Formats: sequence, structure tokens, C-alpha cells
Amino acid sequence: MSRQLDLSRRAMLGGTAALAGGLAFGDLARAQTKSGQLTVGVAGHLLTLDPGDANDTLSQSAARLMLEGLLTFDHNMQVVPLLAESFEANDKATEFTFHLRQGITFHDGTPFDAEAVKINFERVANPANHLKRLSLLSMLERVDVLDAHTARCVLKYPFGAFIPTIAHPALQLLSPAAIKTYGKQVGRHPVGTGPFAFASWQPDTLKVVKHAGYWQKGLPHLDALTIRSDPEDGARIAMLRAGEAQMITPIPPQQAQLIQHDPKLALINDPSIVVRYIAMNVNKKPYNDPRVRQALNHAVNKELFAKVVYNGFADPLLSAEPPHITFYQQQAAYDYNPEKAKQLLAAAGYAHGFEATMWGFNNTVAITGMQFLQQQLAMVGVKLKVEPLEGGVMAARIWTVKHPSESHLEMYFGGWSSSTGDADWALRPLFATASFPPVLYNVGYYSNKAVDAALKAGLETADPAKRGAAYAKAQKLIWDDAAWVFLGVERILDARDKNLQDAYRLPDGGLMLDAARYA
Amino acid sequence: MIAFLARRVLGIVPVLVCVSLFAFGFVRMLPGDPARLLAGPDATQAEVRAVRVSLGLDKPLWQQYATYIRQTLAGELGRSARTGQPVATVIGERFMPTLWLTIAAMGWSTVIGVALGVIAGVRRGRWQDQTSMVLTVSGISFPAFWLGLLLIDLFAVRLHWLPTGGEHGWRSFILPSFTLGVAVAAVMARFTRSAFVEVAGEDYVRTARMKGVPERRVVWKHTFRNALIPVITMAGLQFGFLLGGSIVIETVFAWPGLGRLLVDSVNYRDYPVIQAEILLFSFEFVLINLLVDVLYAVVNPEIRLQ
Repeated sequence: MSRQLDLSRRAMLGGTAALAGGLAFGDLARAQTKSGQLTVGVAGHLLTLDPGDANDTLSQSAARLMLEGLLTFDHNMQVVPLLAESFEANDKATEFTFHLRQGITFHDGTPFDAEAVKINFERVANPANHLKRLSLLSMLERVDVLDAHTARCVLKYPFGAFIPTIAHPALQLLSPAAIKTYGKQVGRHPVGTGPFAFASWQPDTLKVVKHAGYWQKGLPHLDALTIRSDPEDGARIAMLRAGEAQMITPIPPQQAQLIQHDPKLALINDPSIVVRYIAMNVNKKPYNDPRVRQALNHAVNKELFAKVVYNGFADPLLSAEPPHITFYQQQAAYDYNPEKAKQLLAAAGYAHGFEATMWGFNNTVAITGMQFLQQQLAMVGVKLKVEPLEGGVMAARIWTVKHPSESHLEMYFGGWSSSTGDADWALRPLFATASFPPVLYNVGYYSNKAVDAALKAGLETADPAKRGAAYAKAQKLIWDDAAWVFLGVERILDARDKNLQDAYRLPDGGLMLDAARYA
Repeated sequence: MIAFLARRVLGIVPVLVCVSLFAFGFVRMLPGDPARLLAGPDATQAEVRAVRVSLGLDKPLWQQYATYIRQTLAGELGRSARTGQPVATVIGERFMPTLWLTIAAMGWSTVIGVALGVIAGVRRGRWQDQTSMVLTVSGISFPAFWLGLLLIDLFAVRLHWLPTGGEHGWRSFILPSFTLGVAVAAVMARFTRSAFVEVAGEDYVRTARMKGVPERRVVWKHTFRNALIPVITMAGLQFGFLLGGSIVIETVFAWPGLGRLLVDSVNYRDYPVIQAEILLFSFEFVLINLLVDVLYAVVNPEIRLQ
């Protein structure tokens, strides 16, 4: 008895000590907002700060704190100049000339000039370097230094989507001196021209500090910025509510209300370019019949899909690409109409429906989505078997299949985000005949010569009017063929401290923090 | 004793060689092409090939194996396929946080667990025993995930006493080591109690009591010391498991440890890191077993080290 009393007394004493120490910690967390510190809690891990070797949005976003490209995207994914002042292309889309901003230096004092552009682009394009973003510049023949502030990219073949490609965060520039010093390890020692300079990178925590000599006057507003990995959704929200982070990304749609109801927090709810769809293997019955594919489009209530899977935080998908991709053309919706779906199925010879298997990743969204579709399709007689697969198994089953006849895929619950923001990368990898696995991602083996021709035409010119016409045609054809069941477009959902401003994510998911400040 | 230790340490070598063979085979049996996964979700074939070449995965299996053995024997573990860092650095960065968290959790939970077990054993059938039963069953059945989030909500979000996660100073150890230790303490308590009760029924304990040895001495010298043997075994096992890193705790508390590293490495099929982690875990277990054997001899001089 006395022993237990003793224990509890000791626990109380310990509690008091923790109280005293803990208060200091709470104050510290709150003081961050005052002193120009920003901590962003993220779900993933940083892999490298060498953008040319990074294929995940988070690593590229982190690099963007320190590095800049010739071009970048504004809030709406429109290409805008950054280190380049202007650019022009020849008619055949084989030569692109960039006029560079003058008087800028990298953080290590190396001047930013046309030579730096040449070294960076040719480094990514050189297959011998084995960088993960190699194919982004696979069309690049060479970079000519016309004078210190003019660089011309000469391409091997016409590539009309070159300008959005240059705005891709993977092509942000590193200091040539840093590339020389660190070689392959430059991803641990990034030196750029950006608003922040590298400070430290320990497991789960990246720290950067204000670069005093930044060329854009008045920026950055913050003195220091930290990116902290916290993989668990609930724990990340706790980080924000405890004041340890002032922004967290992403938040699950189911938690959005929690953020909205907290007077100290604000929900960031922006459009994204992440599309959700079902791809169907058109080499297999019954998916070879367009009427069946159209029937499935009529059989799914997309509004309900957004509600069930995304708690309402999703937009309708009304073309093969989402609205924030270039040359978007809205199509006439496949309305929710189970009767019409049944008629189409009957006309195709499936009056009693059919059995099908759907594959998807084993994450919450995919599993919820597939279960929802199972119920929806059951209403028109399609008996769906749902198989969530682990990433490696999925890759082996659909992406690395050598020949179409070897694919066992029937339906695939998929997602795509065009990392260049351009119609080419939104459509070609998924719908071109030349994009069958293992080359790219046309996992349903959709093939339409007219679509192939339109996609090709879109790349043979840099003229926006001609490109627009080509992609409008492609979108119409794909839509009418019902190559996918078009489900929806995700929304960007993040949460921030109410006082934090101008910190957001682009529709492609990339973090933009260069102008972040406190009200 | 020294000869025993030397023999046992030498005996570790063949075990590790076998494990390294097994690890090499095991990671390659996982479905999924590592180059494909590492190249990212929108990589082209050229990019996948670039990754494959840079990882040496384009070479025949026997060549990969020869390289792996040569490197391992030279004490070199290669580079992480995911980040390009040396594997020793990747694992080194995450080993210390896991080790310290394990020590913190094992420290308190062993003391509390054994104490609870002894109390329950001595007072078996009475309210102390029943209270201990309630506590231990709750400890085992509380999902760590839920308990962790609950503690974060109370101590970090509402009270602002402790940080929500990450490894930043001693304060950040309190919540994760408590959450991690709860189940261990419960297991240790149940184990200690049953070992205690078993020994308490032995002839020599009854004899001691009959010849009038004071109760305190019967409990501590005759019963407790003998009951300690299985308890040490259990503690060693628990310690080994925790050193592998708890995926749940490390995820909830954003702890930069080995458990999360293993999950990430498996997700990306980062062969060199998975292999090195398997090797490390095996080494830890062998070492802990050795330590347990030595502890037996310390606790009970009748056990000779041979």
C-alpha cells in the first residue's frame, strides 16, 4: 500500500517537472510565428535535393526553396519567366532561345549565366549520368551559349511541349561549381539562386535559411524554414494544432472539417491536376466494345463518388485531362443513368452483365474507391472483384508487361498527374499506341490512329493555336471512345495557421513557399 | 568465461554469413522490379534503364552476388538505391534514435513490469494480483497506435507539455518510450508472475519456509532469483524485437528510426538497405542471446558457461 502511494507521489512530481519544462516548449512553438520561422509538416521523405535526379514532388518542392529554373509556374500552373526574362522558339519547334536575367549569382558566388544553363541541362540530358529525369530532356541535342546571357537549346526533333518542360522543377539550376565539387553527391549539397540557402538535412528534417542577397527585392519574408516528415495523418494534424508546424500537407479529406472548425487554422482547398479513372484492357472482352465502356461511364454516379471517396473534395472529370492542364477542352458529360447503361450493355450482348476484376493500389483512397465502384457496377449487373495490390506487385503486373497479350489486367483503378502541366504529358503516356507498357503507361492498350496523329501534331509545333486544335481533337476522340471510366479530379487539401499567407501548393502538388509570410 | 566469450563471438561469423546469403535471396524474391519502382510513377523506359544500370541490376545475378559478397566481406554495404547515400550512413543515422528509444522503453517497462509481476506473485489471488491482471491485460490489448495518438492529443495539443513527435531532446522521448513500453511492461509482468508462482511451489522454497527463513528472504533470495531466469530470456527477446524498430510507434511519433526505414526500403525495393538491415537485426539478436547467457551465469552461479 505504502509502496503504491509512493509511486503515485513520484509520478506527480515527475508530472510537475514536465509541466514546467513543457510550458517553455509551448511558448517556443508559438514564438516561431513571430520570429519569421516556418515549419511545414509533410507526409513523405525527402530523397535528394538534386532535382534532375528526383522523381517525387516532395523532393522537387524542397529543392525549389533553394533552386530556381529559367521558367516556373504561377498559382494556376501557367508558365511564367523566372531566371529567364523572355524566350522564343523557331517555327518547327526545334530551337528555343532564352534571354537570361542579368546580375544574379548562385549562393556560392558563382555567376548565373548561359554557361550555367548549358552545364545543367546537358548534365541531365547525358545518359552517362544516369539521372532519373533523363527523359525530360531526351530530345535535347545541345545547348549553345550565344553570349553570356543568351542560351539556345537545339533539339534532335520537334518538341512543341518544350517550354512547359523547361518550367518543370526537375530542371532547376544548380551552381556549376557545386556540381563540380560534389559530383553525384550534389543532392546533399544543393547550391542555387533561390530565396533560401541550404542549412542542414538530418533524417526527417530539412532546414534552410534566408539568402540575404536574393535577387528579388523584398523576398523572402521568412528568416528560416523547416520541412519535417511526419508520415501519420493524425500526428501531422496534432503537429499543426500544437503549434509545432504552421502548415501541413496533405490532409485526408475526412479530416477537412476538423480543420475548418478550428478558429486558429485554415483549410487550403485548391484544384489539382490529379485525375482518377478506371482504365480497361481493350484487348479483352467485353472491354473491346465501346458500348460497354460507355455503359460503365453511365453506370457510375460521379457526384456520389466524390462524396464517398473524397468527402466531397473532388471535382468532376469532364475530359481525358483536367482543367488546369494546357489546352483543356470540356466534353459533354456521361450522365449518371443506370437504365441507359443497361440498354448499352444489352445492345453489346451483355444483358445479364458480366464478371470483372479490378486492380488498384492498397491505399485508403483506392480501396474505398474500388469498393464504391463495386456497389455501383452491381446495379447494372457487373459483378466486380476488387484486388488491392502492393506497389511492387502492381508494377510487375501492369507496367513491366512485355507484350499486350501477356497482360492479365481487366480494370485498373488509376491516377495520373502530368508533371509538366502540359497536354502532351497528360495524354500521350496514357493514350498513344506508342505508349503501351513497358514503354509508358497505356495499361489498357487503347489505340486509335486518329488520336495518335493528333498527339503527334501537338508536338510538331510550338504555336499554341495549332497545338490547341490538335489536343482538342485528341480529347474529343478519347472521350467519345470512352477509353476510361472518367471518375474525378482530386483537390489539393492542406491546412495552415490562420496567420500564414502565400504558402500553397500548385495543382501538381508542388509546394510554393518562396513568398510565404505571416499576417 | 573469457574463453567462452571468445568462442561465442567467433561463432557469430558463420551465422552472419548464412544470414547474408539468405538476405540476398530474400530481397530478390520480392515481386516488383526495383528500377521500375525507384524510377518513379511517370518514368519513361529510358529512365528506368538509367536507374537499372546505375544500380548494377542489369548484370547477371551471379555477378551481383559476387559483388555483394565482396563488398560485405570488405565491410562495405554499398549505397542506398533510393537516396544514393552509403548504406552505413543511412542505417547509422537511424540506428541511434531506435537504440535510445529501445533503452528508454525497456528501462522503465522492465522495472515496472517485474515489480508488478512480483507483487502479483506474492499476493496472488488477492486484490493486488487482480489489479495487476487488469493493468497488464489493458496494457497488452491497448493498440499502441491509438494510445499514441491519444497521448499526443492530451500532452502535446491540449497541454503543450511535450512535443508531438520527432527526436528533438529528452522531452521527445517521453511519449514514444511510454507508448512503446506499455505492452512490454505488461508482458514482463505476466511472465514474472507465472515464473514466480511456479518457483514458489518448488520444494526448496517450502523447505526454506519450513526451516523458518524470514518471508522477505524467501521471496527475494529463494523465489525471485530463481524466477529471474525465464524473465531474463523474455527481456532479451523483447529487447531484440524493439531494436528492430517499431513501425507503429515510429510512424505515430515521426521517429527517425529503423522500423520506418525498413518499410520504406521494402516499398521501393531498396535492396542494399534491406539486406543490411536484415544483417544488422540478426547480429543484434545473436549478441543479445550471448548477453542473456552471460546474465544466466551471473544470476545463478550454478549455471556454468561452457
